[in-house]
Amino acid sequence: MSSGPQPRAAGPVVRVRGFDLALDRRYEPATHIWVADAGPGLVRIGMDPLGAETSGTLAQISLPGVGADLAAGRPFGQLEAVKFVGPLTSPVSGTVRAVNDAVAADPGLIERDPFGAGWLIEAELADPAELDGLLTDAAEITAWYEARIEDYVRTGAIAR
Amino acid sequence: MNRGWPAAGRPWRLITDDGATAAGGLALDEALMAGYARGEPDRLPTLRLYTYRTHCALIGRYQNLAAEVDLDACAATGTPVSRRPTGGGAIIMGEDQLGVALIAAAPPDLRPREIIADLASGLVAGLAELGLRAVFQGKNDLEVDGRKVAGLGLYLDQAGAMLFHASVLADLDVEFMLRVLRVPAAKLADKAVAAVAERVTTVTALTGRPWAGPSLRPVIAAGFAAAFGAELDPGEPTAAERDRAAALAVDRYASQSWLADRSAALDGSGSAAIKTPIGLARIYLTTHGDLVKNAIVVGDFNELPVAVPDLEARLRWHRLDERTVMDAVTASGAWEALGVPAEQLAGAVLQAGSQAVERLAAAPLRSEGSCYFPEPSRSHG
Repeated sequence: MSSGPQPRAAGPVVRVRGFDLALDRRYEPATHIWVADAGPGLVRIGMDPLGAETSGTLAQISLPGVGADLAAGRPFGQLEAVKFVGPLTSPVSGTVRAVNDAVAADPGLIERDPFGAGWLIEAELADPAELDGLLTDAAEITAWYEARIEDYVRTGAIAR
Repeated sequence: MNRGWPAAGRPWRLITDDGATAAGGLALDEALMAGYARGEPDRLPTLRLYTYRTHCALIGRYQNLAAEVDLDACAATGTPVSRRPTGGGAIIMGEDQLGVALIAAAPPDLRPREIIADLASGLVAGLAELGLRAVFQGKNDLEVDGRKVAGLGLYLDQAGAMLFHASVLADLDVEFMLRVLRVPAAKLADKAVAAVAERVTTVTALTGRPWAGPSLRPVIAAGFAAAFGAELDPGEPTAAERDRAAALAVDRYASQSWLADRSAALDGSGSAAIKTPIGLARIYLTTHGDLVKNAIVVGDFNELPVAVPDLEARLRWHRLDERTVMDAVTASGAWEALGVPAEQLAGAVLQAGSQAVERLAAAPLRSEGSCYFPEPSRSHG
């Protein structure tokens, strides 16, 4: 899963019931959006493999421009999968400082390298305390991820 | 059906109407979403069960109009076109197809595919009343005995509202569909109707009784009521919703910019031959970027092995990479049914895919394919 260029070290990636999971970052559990440190006051934001898998094959992605404002819990872009069109929801508030043009051109990058080259945006945080509301602890993240995979297989959200 | 959905027993609004125009039908669905935006008072879902004027052609959110619809044939037959806000492929709609729109606040804890699977259960329950066993099973469409009987799609807007769309085939004028959608012409012309019938079915065909959208409506309404434990309370759109729909019909769904909106990905088509013990077969693919839009395997089979349409359905809307294709080939069992090694069948699929991509360089705007059936290559087969 983790082939291709990785602008930043992807850190420890473990395999949970067939799905990759990076343990060096935080997660917004409802949306499967990850947040990784990217320097003082800066974060990199992306989508984990379950987020992609439970949306359906990704067909197109629209991202904001550099300088756009982000609000926690509010949309920052749009994702179009084959049967689904919907918002990408920001886990934090702040300002967009970089956008990954490569995923806009090739949304399959999110599926191939979700924790590396498939990142979405980088943002400057308005309120670093917002990070405390995300899943942070490796054991907690792993337990959450495993439980969600079980749910998704049971409900048919993951085709098996 | 409780998780994430409103409690059983409380009334949902049921809206019914017939003869919607292409732009007007889609505009009302979107207009109904405004009442479910974040910050609006909590309210129960609206279920709209309706039909379009015979016929309209509706393409999916990110499809390229001219690639999916024969615009000359639409003009000649007076068939209006529009673009849905939901994903999926090109379809025809008319009095024989029941349009289903379920509008609600997006359940915050459910993923898109969970929402689609949950709401498909309303259709499954309705069709079960007719003795039909429809299944979703994580695929893109609702199927009975491996044949598509309904197409599904989901749109969550930026304000937190949800629109679930389904088109249930009460019946289908296959010849008309083949005429207006970019579907097969040349090589399969004489076999096209039969080939569609092997892959798509209707409530009429399955029950042996004539059904249309309006007669199917109470069946599907009862299915949603049963699946969600909901009472359906017949109602009408409010004046504000009608006004918003009228504006959206003009500003969006009938506007050239919305219709002409192009995806960044290009459409292509390709084919490859495969020798089998029961004769030569050929696989045709239509593609959108690196996604399979449609796949069809044709050959001199006395009877189409069930595993073949299963393979086609597993390829559809998936990516053309080795692992995904190999997974589809092995899971379907189509390689066994055709009597060839799995690697050989997967190789033929990838070869057809490479051809589709290579052709893009030569003719970037040429493409075909619909929700039901792809057009075969003109230079092969």
